[in-house]
Amino acid sequence: MTVPLGAYIAVSAGLFFIGCAGVLVRRNAVVILMCVELMLNAANLALVAFSRRFGAVDQRGSVFVIFVFVIAAAEVAVGLAIVLSAYRNRPVIDVDEIHQMKG
Amino acid sequence: MPVGPLGLDPLFWAPLRLIIAVALALFLVLNGALLQIYLERKIQAIIQDRLGPYHVGPFGLLQTFADAIKLIAKEDVRARATDPWFFLAAPALVFCPMLASWVVLPFAQDIVGVDLNIGLLYLTTLGSMTVLGIVIAGWASNNKYALVGGLRSAGQLISYEIPQILALVSVALVVGSLSMIDITRSQAGPMVNVFVLPFSFLIYFIAALAETNRTPFDLPEAESELVAGWLTEYSGMRWGTMLALSEYGNVTVVSSIVTTLWFGGWQGPGVDAIPLLGVLWFTLKVYGVIVVMMWIRATLPRLRIDQLMTFCWLGLIPLALLNIMVVAVLALAFPDTKIPIALASWLLVIAFIAGVPFVQRRRLALLRARASASAVRAAS
Amino acid sequence: MSFDFVEPVVFAVLAFGVIGAGAAVVLLDRITASALLMALTFLCMAGMFVLLGAETIAAFQVLIYVGAITVLILFGVQFTKQGGDRSYALFFQKQYPLAAALVAAVAIPVALFAFSFTAPAPPPGGGDIRPLATSVFTDYAFAFEVASVLLLAAMVGAIVLTTRDERAEAARRRK
Repeated sequence: MTVPLGAYIAVSAGLFFIGCAGVLVRRNAVVILMCVELMLNAANLALVAFSRRFGAVDQRGSVFVIFVFVIAAAEVAVGLAIVLSAYRNRPVIDVDEIHQMKG
Repeated sequence: MPVGPLGLDPLFWAPLRLIIAVALALFLVLNGALLQIYLERKIQAIIQDRLGPYHVGPFGLLQTFADAIKLIAKEDVRARATDPWFFLAAPALVFCPMLASWVVLPFAQDIVGVDLNIGLLYLTTLGSMTVLGIVIAGWASNNKYALVGGLRSAGQLISYEIPQILALVSVALVVGSLSMIDITRSQAGPMVNVFVLPFSFLIYFIAALAETNRTPFDLPEAESELVAGWLTEYSGMRWGTMLALSEYGNVTVVSSIVTTLWFGGWQGPGVDAIPLLGVLWFTLKVYGVIVVMMWIRATLPRLRIDQLMTFCWLGLIPLALLNIMVVAVLALAFPDTKIPIALASWLLVIAFIAGVPFVQRRRLALLRARASASAVRAAS
Repeated sequence: MSFDFVEPVVFAVLAFGVIGAGAAVVLLDRITASALLMALTFLCMAGMFVLLGAETIAAFQVLIYVGAITVLILFGVQFTKQGGDRSYALFFQKQYPLAAALVAAVAIPVALFAFSFTAPAPPPGGGDIRPLATSVFTDYAFAFEVASVLLLAAMVGAIVLTTRDERAEAARRRK
């Protein structure tokens, strides 16, 4: 018995909303980055599930997962670099405290 | 009803096979570590004109067994300031990926856990997971030496993973498969890959020394500067699992990859007649690679951390990319013969070996010039 | 009797891992625990990819997410001082019940709707590395190149952002 497609999509949706809630609730910049990674990963699961169950010959959906990996790696590298350089100027990690750019 | 081997029900046979495989892998890891520690001591002793262990058993053969029993019997020390959960989780995080790598190692024609068609990718994936355990160990120890060791290790392992994977790519390009079995099969006869792709072998071997924390790249646990690096707070069998079992297990896995990819795996004289002979050839080749690693340890001094990173990012990674480009172009241009690839590869090896002293001399001159310039600035 | 029960059981365990560890990432206050549980989420996700038959994607998932991104985030954790999250009276912050109610109001209908998806075709057998590689290097070759340029730009950007200007800092200290 194979697991129905809907179950994978439900897990994907669940993880996406967990990540979404995390971005809204947490104020620690590093945790927010982690939650964004969770959301990206949830999207990956949906892409792979649809691609495996619908695209019988060529898994084109899975190709986009590879691009999502690239985006995720770039995002976390640049995001952490921004967090670190902001932290160096003022040692706070709370995103609400970093408001010097506000006019 | 389908019937598995030995007339067993497959429902019964599958878990049994799993248990046998895991037990066999554990047995091999444990005994491999004991044997390799003994070998390491003896070889270092011979090179340094000493005797090495000789008290326990004939030629000191039982020395490592005695040490293992001592480690198991030791008191379980945990400093109060350590992070209890992570401190306990770290050895498992280092050990499990290493054990899981044994699934795809091809010991002989039919003696392999699973013939994954992404076997090589699987091995690199598991190799990259070790970093996590080491960083966690360094963090959880709540000790500055351990923290510096863990951070150094993360930097080193992530950096050296890149040339390692890039070196594997050229082999995959020539063979056209990522399955360990297919790669071994493609090297029947004396023309093994090390003659065709010596340059990628060189890059992989150097990067693998760094990946397994062997001297000259053993900075994460540099005894003389960091006490024991990320292992500082660990003792007893927890230390034994982390260092002895995991590190020597990783050395074995890496040597098996080298053997399979460049030295023809189980292939050897007489294998076609007696397939079980493959296990012997495979083991002999793996231990040959391990002995070379020990020889290097006894010969070379440890690098400084900036030299280590510079060598990787400015030396190995560009060279590995160049190697991929050369191999890919030649493989496309001459699909029938491997001779142009072999010629180009050997030329790169010669250029590398001849180029290292030249580059070193220029760097040294540059550093001297910079030092004297700053001395002048300080004086004025 | 056969092995039919294995796949749903494995799926249930992995789904529990993904959702449970993901929720713990958000709810736990200890940031190192969050980072490790995030790695566990990624591992369970890789297991799901294997269940779906996409083992190459699973290998990349572990290689990139567990081997690189989690370690990078642990680096970030170790280089910054971590205090507890402070509670603010702004929009959602630290108001877990309100945020949970709002998100759940959207999430539960969506998750229920997700169950209604059905697949017309059975999953294709065989590995996925060959179709994947064929797609990436033929139809999506341009996108692949653009992605590599993006990675290069991100690498350069990260280095520029984090490099300290030692001469300027020394000058500031002298003042």
